[in-house]
Amino acid sequence: MTETAIEAAALSKRFGRRRGPALDGCTFRLPAGRVCAVVGPNGAGKSTLLSLAAGLLRPTDGTITVLGQTPAAARERLAYVAQDKPLHPQLTVADTLRLGRELNPRRWDDRVAERIVAEGDLAPDAKIRTLSGGQRTRVALALALGKRPELLLLDEPMADLDPLARHQLMATLMADAAEHGTTVVMSSHVVAELDGACDHLLLLGAGRVRLAGPLDDLLAAHKLVTGRADASLAPHTVVESRTTGRQLTALVRPDGPLGDGWQTTAPTLEELVLAHLRAPEAPALRLDTPQEAAV
Amino acid sequence: MTAVTLETSTAATPTRGPRGLLWTMLRLHRSALWFWVMLVAVGAGALLWAYGPGADAAWAEFRKAGCDAVSPGGLTCDMGAGAAYGRYDAAIALGSGVLALAPFLTAAWAGAALIGRELESGTAQLAWTQSVSPARWLAAKLAVPAALLVSGTLVLTLVHRMVFSVDGALRLTGGSRAWYQGATFEANGTLATAYALLGLTVGVLAGLLQRRALAALGTAVVGLAILAAALGALRPYLWPVETLTDKNEYPEFIGMVVGEGALTSTGARVPDPICVDNAKCLAEHDIVGFYRDYHPASHFWPLQLVETGIVLAVAALAVLLAFRLLNRRTGAAA
Amino acid sequence: MVEYRIDRRSGVATYVQIVQQTKQALRLGLLEPGDKLPTAREVVEATAINPNTVLKAYRELEREGLVEARRGLGTFVRRGLNTAPADSPLRTELDAWAVRAREAGLERDDVDALFTSVLDTHFKGDES
Repeated sequence: MTETAIEAAALSKRFGRRRGPALDGCTFRLPAGRVCAVVGPNGAGKSTLLSLAAGLLRPTDGTITVLGQTPAAARERLAYVAQDKPLHPQLTVADTLRLGRELNPRRWDDRVAERIVAEGDLAPDAKIRTLSGGQRTRVALALALGKRPELLLLDEPMADLDPLARHQLMATLMADAAEHGTTVVMSSHVVAELDGACDHLLLLGAGRVRLAGPLDDLLAAHKLVTGRADASLAPHTVVESRTTGRQLTALVRPDGPLGDGWQTTAPTLEELVLAHLRAPEAPALRLDTPQEAAV
Repeated sequence: MTAVTLETSTAATPTRGPRGLLWTMLRLHRSALWFWVMLVAVGAGALLWAYGPGADAAWAEFRKAGCDAVSPGGLTCDMGAGAAYGRYDAAIALGSGVLALAPFLTAAWAGAALIGRELESGTAQLAWTQSVSPARWLAAKLAVPAALLVSGTLVLTLVHRMVFSVDGALRLTGGSRAWYQGATFEANGTLATAYALLGLTVGVLAGLLQRRALAALGTAVVGLAILAAALGALRPYLWPVETLTDKNEYPEFIGMVVGEGALTSTGARVPDPICVDNAKCLAEHDIVGFYRDYHPASHFWPLQLVETGIVLAVAALAVLLAFRLLNRRTGAAA
Repeated sequence: MVEYRIDRRSGVATYVQIVQQTKQALRLGLLEPGDKLPTAREVVEATAINPNTVLKAYRELEREGLVEARRGLGTFVRRGLNTAPADSPLRTELDAWAVRAREAGLERDDVDALFTSVLDTHFKGDES
């Protein structure tokens, strides 16, 4: 568990001088073997982060290492599926897999790729341009997993899929992770579709890291509390609070035991993420480095 | 449940034929490859037809008109508008036209289909996240089309030279295919190939700059047109000219004329005051003779090779810029 | 062999659901000592949940002594779970208590709440 899949230090990326940074000083560490959700609103920098990790972009500032190497050096060991699942429309499904074999001569596993395609009832001689969104995603995933990557980067993988296809693809991904210990990084702006599948969270907002760490630890560090509106929550860190009449509902990071008079429940992933999205000023929390608990 | 099909399809893995990036290039751009093969076949076919039956028919036409006694300036009759000659001329025009058009077609295709579309749709990034670095990807994108372009243009150039080496008299009758005239000059030497390679590299660079198919197509064609016009304008000055002078009138009109005018008694070159035979006028302007700068046919190869060198240097510069641009953007050292 | 049903909206942690459902299968006799639990791969292929969650649940079951992992073979049931038989003294007492509660005019929900709160008091800290 000490191996690192991705490590970023003060990572920044700007597109053009006039526009604001897409990523702004991101520091985080993702251990190998995790299934990590990269969550955030549109424009938070999720796609930029994945492109940087895939070696498709050069950071403006800071560094990113992937599997202990530069992304360019780790090219053979990682796979990446972009948001719009680019594939060559003029190729057939079989030719697309052949492309994977020809371009990954040292790693390619035909059985893995062909099983994923076969599970989707895709004819090998079907042209890519005739496929539905879900079928394209399946082929793109077959191409990515056929490479036998140690790190799989998926940008909004489930965006245009129906519920059944989502379940099937997530199951395929999880099975691959279970069998080979593949580290999976998935971005999404729909939190619900990642719940249950992910055990690590990276929440981005406006190009910065808001939350980073093992999901269980992050959830355990927060409490949903309900109490009287005039009661004080000091010294705990309040992420977000709302008052309705005499009642106050808040998501807090308890600093020691909460006093009597507070009803507490554990937040769900969705509640945790939504509270942070509603409160962009709330301090960031990183639990991904053993020595420094919070930044 | 799919174990059986898996076994068979894995066993059927093809191991012969091109591999890796070469296979990928040939497969992805199969239609462009076939189009190029067809274009070369049509051009070469037209030239071969002109070389054989086309020329025979044109000669027969001239003989029928009774003007087949060949004089130094061509055939004795100053015609050449006969139907058979017209077909002969059109066939040569088609052959050299393919060579003249190839750089522009290549630039448009390279900008749009080879690079621009791949960056626009993300399939370039798909390749870069296989085990292929952007630099190797770009190298393949340049090398495979370059090899096919060189072989195609060389075939056409050789056939064109073959046609040009015979039937000189026939050709001169039309007056449009002198050795120094644009399409003929390029089709007879190394320039057609050099310009095709320039088209490829300009297209690739435009594709990388624009990152969109349509914009890259426009940029590539306009960029190549500007470069070709500039280089074409430079052509006469790429090798020292020969000069002819004459006391009474303009010297003979031979080869590629670069400049002409009048000479004063001090030997200075001045614009012709157009006195014609007026002695008073000539004396007034102190005109003692006339000159003409030109390239004789023996300058064909020097001119050809110097320009080829320049074109290839510009193409190499475009390649260098393309690699630097890609490297700066992707940050891939290897 | 058991098949796990994961309810993402239940609010119960996923690994706890697996632990509970395994125990339920042991109680009902669907799993007996020597039976093999599904592999992590098999579970996640059916449920699309995180494989580490399955491993965590299996570790918990192992910690409780219910199953044992055999290297390279899988995870096997070590012992069953015995519920109190239908005629045990405890059940008789509870039965009598329920009758009294009903006579006192308590609704089913009231009894449920009361029972849960007493359980919470006495079994505090015991997971699942």
